[in-house]
Amino acid sequence: MSVRHFKLVLLGDTAVGKSCLVVRFVRDEFFEFQEPTIGAAFLTQSVQLDSSVVKFEIWDTAGQERYRSLAPMYYRGASAAIVVFDLSNKDSYNGAKSWVKELMRRGDPNVVIALAGNKADLPPSQRKVETEEAAAYAEENNILYLETSAKNASNVKNLFVEIAKKLPTATAQQERNDTFTIAPAKTEKKNCC
Amino acid sequence: MASMLATTSPDMEPEDGRVVNQEAITKIREAWIFKQLSQRQSEFTNFSSINLLCCTWNVNAKKLDFDTPNLMSSWLFPPANGDVLPDIVAVGFQEIVDLNAVNVAVDSKAKQRSELWQEQIHKTLNTKTSYTLVSEVHLVGMLLCVYVKNTHIAKVSNVHSATVGVGVMGVMGNKGGVSVRMQFYDSSVCFVCSHFAAHRENVAGRNADFASILNKTSFEIGKEAVQEAVRAGSVSQWASGSSAVGLKDHDFVFWLGDLNYRIDETLSTDEVFVKSNNMEIETLRAHDQLNIERFNNNVFEGFEEGVLKFAPTYKYQPNTDLYECRPDKKLRAPAWCDRVLWHSQNPAHVQQKNYLRSELNISDHKPVMATFNTQVKNIIAAKRQEVYAEVMRTLDKFENQSLPKVDLNKIDVNFGELYYENKASESILVTNSGKVVAHFRLVPKLEDEGLCKDWISVSPTFGMLIPGESMTINFSINLDNKTAQQLNQGRESLDDIIILRLENGRDHYLTVSGTYARSCFGMSLRDLVVIGEPVRDLPLEPKARAEFEKKHPPASLSVPKELWRIVDAINEKGLHEKDLFLTPGFAAEVKQIRECLDTSSDFGLFHVHSMCEALVSFLSSLSEPLVPSSLFPTLEIDQQNIMPWSRRFLEVLPPIHYNCFVYIISFLREVLLFSNSNGLTAQKLARVCSNCMIQSDGGGKNDRSRSMALIFLHFLTTNSI
Repeated sequence: MSVRHFKLVLLGDTAVGKSCLVVRFVRDEFFEFQEPTIGAAFLTQSVQLDSSVVKFEIWDTAGQERYRSLAPMYYRGASAAIVVFDLSNKDSYNGAKSWVKELMRRGDPNVVIALAGNKADLPPSQRKVETEEAAAYAEENNILYLETSAKNASNVKNLFVEIAKKLPTATAQQERNDTFTIAPAKTEKKNCC
Repeated sequence: MASMLATTSPDMEPEDGRVVNQEAITKIREAWIFKQLSQRQSEFTNFSSINLLCCTWNVNAKKLDFDTPNLMSSWLFPPANGDVLPDIVAVGFQEIVDLNAVNVAVDSKAKQRSELWQEQIHKTLNTKTSYTLVSEVHLVGMLLCVYVKNTHIAKVSNVHSATVGVGVMGVMGNKGGVSVRMQFYDSSVCFVCSHFAAHRENVAGRNADFASILNKTSFEIGKEAVQEAVRAGSVSQWASGSSAVGLKDHDFVFWLGDLNYRIDETLSTDEVFVKSNNMEIETLRAHDQLNIERFNNNVFEGFEEGVLKFAPTYKYQPNTDLYECRPDKKLRAPAWCDRVLWHSQNPAHVQQKNYLRSELNISDHKPVMATFNTQVKNIIAAKRQEVYAEVMRTLDKFENQSLPKVDLNKIDVNFGELYYENKASESILVTNSGKVVAHFRLVPKLEDEGLCKDWISVSPTFGMLIPGESMTINFSINLDNKTAQQLNQGRESLDDIIILRLENGRDHYLTVSGTYARSCFGMSLRDLVVIGEPVRDLPLEPKARAEFEKKHPPASLSVPKELWRIVDAINEKGLHEKDLFLTPGFAAEVKQIRECLDTSSDFGLFHVHSMCEALVSFLSSLSEPLVPSSLFPTLEIDQQNIMPWSRRFLEVLPPIHYNCFVYIISFLREVLLFSNSNGLTAQKLARVCSNCMIQSDGGGKNDRSRSMALIFLHFLTTNSI
């Protein structure tokens, strides 16, 4: 029943659906007109794996260009990052690639990166980024790629679960071992005989 | 006794005086989660009904006549059970060998005997259906064998055994307990076979043996198995991280054996014989030491036992059904030495079907059997995960709700058009809209040292709000000359982001912005002489500026038009005004004059002193002083060298500066012509020049600037220009 804590940051251009993904994941809600994030929103949410629980401390950052220079404040020290783009917006895909590059250059060396092509619910005619292209890019850079829809919830939970699976267990394991060494009631009895 | 929450790290006491122990918080939180899951166990657990048979027999080192059919079978398949075959069979023996010194020390005989019994049990059980020996453990005379029906064998895991000797010296195996534990489906089951201290009067010894075995028995099942038991709700979450479990860390414990409790001495040996033979069970039961000790909570606390309905099982004359009372033998009052008890974490999950004795007669004890019906857990992992996720979601929800939250009445502070030397203030109202106390503070961006740009000042920069409470954050700006110069040079822009951080919560970005209404103040002479249009119209932004310059080709004025306009305006007012340049002007008028200069509009009404002040402050504001300090004389000026130095000075002055300098000095010489009425002297005006034409490098007037003042004086008093 051990819980491992990890900092996760969402990055990506404006209006690609970062906050929507978080709101869908944390509260299972969706707002068509989600206000732009001016600042960095903070939420926590747990994900259950087979044998452990991963608790994410999520920083949802502002996507607007004018705030871009502040992003390092949030990806610094993050164990995981979700770089989001809008499948119907090629510029946002290019933006995502530059975010990935920045993370690899300036983020934590072991940061687990997931690329999320959001708005997968849109009709194929509006799609501007092909799955093959994004998947190939992700594979090349050894990062996860998932196509999500905050609107219809598809793949949202999965996105976080996949990241959780890739997060290290060793340190957390060590911590658990150090922490929970005794069952108090039992120890007492042992002491008195 | 209260058990304290154990943590490996000490409490932390940060400066705010609160005491924090993150580890304790985590543990308490996990305990809560565990409790929620335990309460909802039925939602993700299927229970299966399982039959279980426990047999115990002190065989007094005898062997059964294995060739006689049905002897073993009559014991292991009590007729009372009919055709129902147990799913689990636990068979315990005591005294498979004589408890002599050799057997206590050397295992060979016991090993041989235990193998013999195992073989016979196995053979017997398998006459009905297939059983597999899950584990066997023996210690001197004690032997415990646990069998599981083959149909369940895949559901058996984490099988471990343990032995505890409590005999001679408190450790030898002539007395003690052997045990086997296993996970059966998702329940944990433990069997203990024990042999306690003998003799009617030694009740305390037997109680102590029980306590000793209970506390000393430990199974090293590994952390993973413990974790699994925690998940199954079989042990508390406190066991997480430990690799061992004790006897009571099991869903079910079945304790069988020769516990050696007798009929207490309030009944004489003779009475016990009589009542045993007459089957006065109820009377004897009231005097049974184990019943009395259990009633007084001296032993087997939390354990249960079925009601004894059979005659005492000890001590028989071997190969007969008679209590031993031959005169040559030690006389023992009959007793229920041989017992089966159980402990279940959920008492409703164990039901005893029968509690019997067998009439096999090779030993001085009769065997005892107990059949149980138990409810074992079968956890549906997917459902459990669903419930777990739900519990966590609820917890996350509350934790997210208890994050601090503030509302801001606005996040953009736009000052609109900002003028040279403009001072302005705006404010933001911060309201705690959350459910907890909110601590906020402004934090620098990335590696910045300050919270914001120099021209902004914010107050307060931190604060605490209780829910519902509001506070105003004030933003003041001051567009001083330094900022104006930087704006003109494109090194500064009128916008900034200020980060308001909620402790344990989110960051809000506050944007402060404005548009600079350009002024000729704070510019350089070089820039001013190429601008024919009002300075205000000239865009700061490079692209727009290039666009502007396409339409308006650069002018090439000999002096800035603004300088010319000021001098012209003073001239027009007349130069006879007393204390010209020495009397301060009116601030509002100076401001108005500046605005008219920037927009090329008429000055309107003004006092000449205001215009003189405008001249002085215009020259002082230049981003490069009219007389650069690099051109100051390098030697002390005296009557001999003043002429050449002055000449040299004019030669090295950059052309535009030269024009302006000559223009101003000429004007000031004209002012001196009216010294009778305005009362000015060359000395006074030289001081004015020093005030506005040169910029001291911070260190005040030095020798070189004093020399420069002499040169100003020289130009004002001679006809050198």
